[in-house]
Amino acid sequence: MRGGVLPPALLFAALGLALAFTPRRTWVPSILVLLATLAVFTFIIVPRSWLDGVFLACWISVIATAATVHRTRGLSPYAAVGLSLNTGVWASVVVSLSGARLDLLKALPWVLILLPASWLVGRYAPIPVKVLSSWIIVIAVLAATLQLLPVTPGYLPDHMD
Amino acid sequence: MAAAAVVESLLSNPAAAHLGTGLPGGFLSGFEHPLSGLDHLLAMVSVGLWGAFLGRPLIYVLPVVFPGLMVAGAIMGMFVVPLPPVQVGIALSVLVLGGCIALSAKAPIWAATLIVALFAVFHGYAHGKELPSAADPLNYSAGFVLATGLLHVSGISLGFLNDRPRGLLATRSLGGVIAAAGAWFLYQAVRA
Repeated sequence: MRGGVLPPALLFAALGLALAFTPRRTWVPSILVLLATLAVFTFIIVPRSWLDGVFLACWISVIATAATVHRTRGLSPYAAVGLSLNTGVWASVVVSLSGARLDLLKALPWVLILLPASWLVGRYAPIPVKVLSSWIIVIAVLAATLQLLPVTPGYLPDHMD
Repeated sequence: MAAAAVVESLLSNPAAAHLGTGLPGGFLSGFEHPLSGLDHLLAMVSVGLWGAFLGRPLIYVLPVVFPGLMVAGAIMGMFVVPLPPVQVGIALSVLVLGGCIALSAKAPIWAATLIVALFAVFHGYAHGKELPSAADPLNYSAGFVLATGLLHVSGISLGFLNDRPRGLLATRSLGGVIAAAGAWFLYQAVRA
């Protein structure tokens, strides 16, 4: 078991934290692009054999998106929209391969972390946001590594199954 | 409704597929794990508390560095890379971090970062060796990273006592108690 709500939730949370460092005028286009991408890619059929590659791309996206909070100059509006597009693609593909469509709806509210994060950033207190993003990066690095394990992780059948 | 969805997504735990063979791991068991071992718990709180003693930038650098290097240690643990006795390293971390708090040691940024990074590898290694057998390693990882982070935050919060009358004495005394516990862990680890 490695699908479900958590992978898209981490992607959405990372995007929310990244958008907190962008001007407010970029929020609406970014969220609209995210929703449109989710709507389109949810219905695209992806070959089952792509599962590992899709998960790896998902974790790399989480790491890259969360890492943008450490950019000293923040994100440009185009980069913010690009990140939303990327988030929408991988969240919907990951869920279509290893979850239910409802998982996307359950995970989507995590993007609202943008609101408290931007409140903190606006009050010159970005540190908790950066610390939180580093935790998200850590989870994604661990999850990406688990795919490369020489031993049997819990989500694969083993001698007991 | 959004809040309810967030809470539900956090608490949703898949069925344990490995009962009897390993950790029936989901978010909650990962979250409980750092809280269940006193050695881990004291070290995580100490990182935050020492960071509070050291002030900016270490007050936030240490809670960022620790999970980062903990994941490096966890990966080493998963691939069973040989490491000096891990329990000794963990016990030493409690002893040294508690001692730094008790002595109110003002280490330079590089030294504090290096000390915390080194000990984080040992803590991560111990976690990483258990991680692969968890039924749901991803939720398990998310749980233990979040719990670890919250322990750092609680240590930082304890550091706010320093601004109160006799607060510094209280936190330094707490550091002494942590160091004493570390000495006991070290004695047990060396004896084992």
